[in-house]
Amino acid sequence: MKLQPYRAAFDQFASSLPANERLVRDAHLQRFLSLGFPSKREEDWRYTDLAALSEKSFGLAIPAGNEADFKRIDGTERLVFVDGRLDSARSTAAQFCAEIPATESPATDGVLALNAAFSSAGLDLKLAAKQQLEQPLHVLFLSSAGADRATSMSHQRHRIVLGENACATVIVEFARESGSDSLATHTFDIQLGANAQLTLHRLQHESAATTLLTRIDASLGRDARFNALCLDAGGGFVRHDFNVSLDAPGTNAELHGLFAPLPKSHIDNHTRIVHAAPHGRSREHFRGIVGERTKAIFSGKVVVQPGAQKTDSEQRIANLLLSKRAEVNAKPDLEIYADDVKCAHGATVGQLDDTALAYLRSRGIDAATAKSLLLRAFAIEILDHVNFVPLRRHIEALLNFPDDPQLDALIEAVS
Amino acid sequence: MLEIKNLHASIDGKEILKGLSLNVGAGEVHAIMGPNGAGKSTLAHVLAGREGYVATTGEVKFEGKDLLTLEPEARACEGVFLGFQYPVEIPGVSNLTLLKAAINARRKYRGRAEIEASDFLAWIRDRAKIVKIDPKMLSRGVNEGFSGGEKKRNEILQMLILEPRLMILDETDSGLDIDALKIVADGINTLRSPERATVLVTHYQRLLDYVQPDFVHVLARGRIVKSGGPELAQELEEKGYGWLEAA
Repeated sequence: MKLQPYRAAFDQFASSLPANERLVRDAHLQRFLSLGFPSKREEDWRYTDLAALSEKSFGLAIPAGNEADFKRIDGTERLVFVDGRLDSARSTAAQFCAEIPATESPATDGVLALNAAFSSAGLDLKLAAKQQLEQPLHVLFLSSAGADRATSMSHQRHRIVLGENACATVIVEFARESGSDSLATHTFDIQLGANAQLTLHRLQHESAATTLLTRIDASLGRDARFNALCLDAGGGFVRHDFNVSLDAPGTNAELHGLFAPLPKSHIDNHTRIVHAAPHGRSREHFRGIVGERTKAIFSGKVVVQPGAQKTDSEQRIANLLLSKRAEVNAKPDLEIYADDVKCAHGATVGQLDDTALAYLRSRGIDAATAKSLLLRAFAIEILDHVNFVPLRRHIEALLNFPDDPQLDALIEAVS
Repeated sequence: MLEIKNLHASIDGKEILKGLSLNVGAGEVHAIMGPNGAGKSTLAHVLAGREGYVATTGEVKFEGKDLLTLEPEARACEGVFLGFQYPVEIPGVSNLTLLKAAINARRKYRGRAEIEASDFLAWIRDRAKIVKIDPKMLSRGVNEGFSGGEKKRNEILQMLILEPRLMILDETDSGLDIDALKIVADGINTLRSPERATVLVTHYQRLLDYVQPDFVHVLARGRIVKSGGPELAQELEEKGYGWLEAA
């Protein structure tokens, strides 16, 4: 039977659970077994085929103990997970780790059901009214180092709940270096209270053998502000679902992203912004740099529901194709059911500017450096949304942009 | 310093330069004039190594080195500078980034360490004065939002900063008002020295009132059809190019 290895892995996993918990988990597993992984026939999964996952036999990952290294970001608190388990020794904010009970309602798709069946403890950030995180919280997902490890999987659920006027910055980083096949699913449930503010950075630089499926569902309360930045700088087979619901009047959501994946990878950003209340503002701007044998997908849907008057929404996607064997599918999509709204969208696909490249080379700059300067120039509109300087440097290093730590100081000195 | 022998060059298979020969010695200023479409800009780009400009036959030596086999960036590091007729706007790459990368590329080429930030800044400020560019503009993207005159002055600024040994200026004077033209000319004259050579590609005699050439050449139909002293420029101004093209 197909999916049998998941059944086997579950039996092993569930044996240690209390009976009532096992019952809930088992229901999710049954749901998963009956739904299976989403198929390409479903519109939302048209470009991302998970069929191969059905054939694989992943076992739940067991931390091997040898520590995978990671780069710390100055001025942050840390929560480190290795193979889906908290690494308390290297975490400075372990209080934000908790098991999040799976909902009892049946999951809407196979991936969610799988995640609910197996989920282990994850980020659980709850801030009371007016509470503020002093430092950004850096949440890392690593794999234990070492080569010859069996195919493994991990599944985690996360939650961020901000009370009225609460404020937080969270950096979520997927940085597994595992050389063997692995599967990870992550779900984030985000709820922002009235006038709360969340800045969320989702960074991914996984290895080529990784399959990563993430899903963020955010719901915004009155006047809440949500700024998200999504970066894909790694390889592998990656699908991100990002759903933002502007549920109360006066909310502001900004969703910006840059994907510059490694060659031979597959990156699917699937976003959905729902304006469900009046006076909501949303901005979505993604840029992609797509190279050799890489497939990138961006689908961005904006829905303006009846009654969501005075909605102000803008969606832009720009892509740079670096190779004849690069593929990008960009699909902006608007659905409007209100009549007093302002909605704009646009998509472009282009190539590196040869004239600019020639100009830089004529000044003595070698072709590779010139090219990376131009790539950085293309990405800068997105990077400029990162106000936290140590994070900005971290991201530029991930993207292998020309390292010039003195530059800001120079610009400062000249101005 | 620069020896061009029987140079043939084409773009997209179309031959533009048809046997051009020219010798430029150290310390000399050569003006290359000629009608539109004569191949003046092609010559400038072939020397700088622009992709798509193919030298089919002939030879170009710069200080004894075969220039045509070098990558464009290596030519620049050897000391060749091309001032573009149409400087490129590069939003997202600041002028400072470009300048710093260009200076350090040259230093690396000569096996020297990268420039200190304070030295870099002092040098930029010093040079910016000559061309009357506010250093603040340099934190903006390369030529981004610059006026036509500012772009040309920025070319000269880059040249002053990089201190090349061979300056090739492709119609840097075109489209400039008289004040901007004087600034550009000042910049060129600042670098003029016995160790440096200059090739001024120009359509108008006007620039030569401010930068006195040692030699003037007329380029027509892909060849140099006439050479002379500064007086030739005057003659061209009066008679136009018709009499030479017919010859």
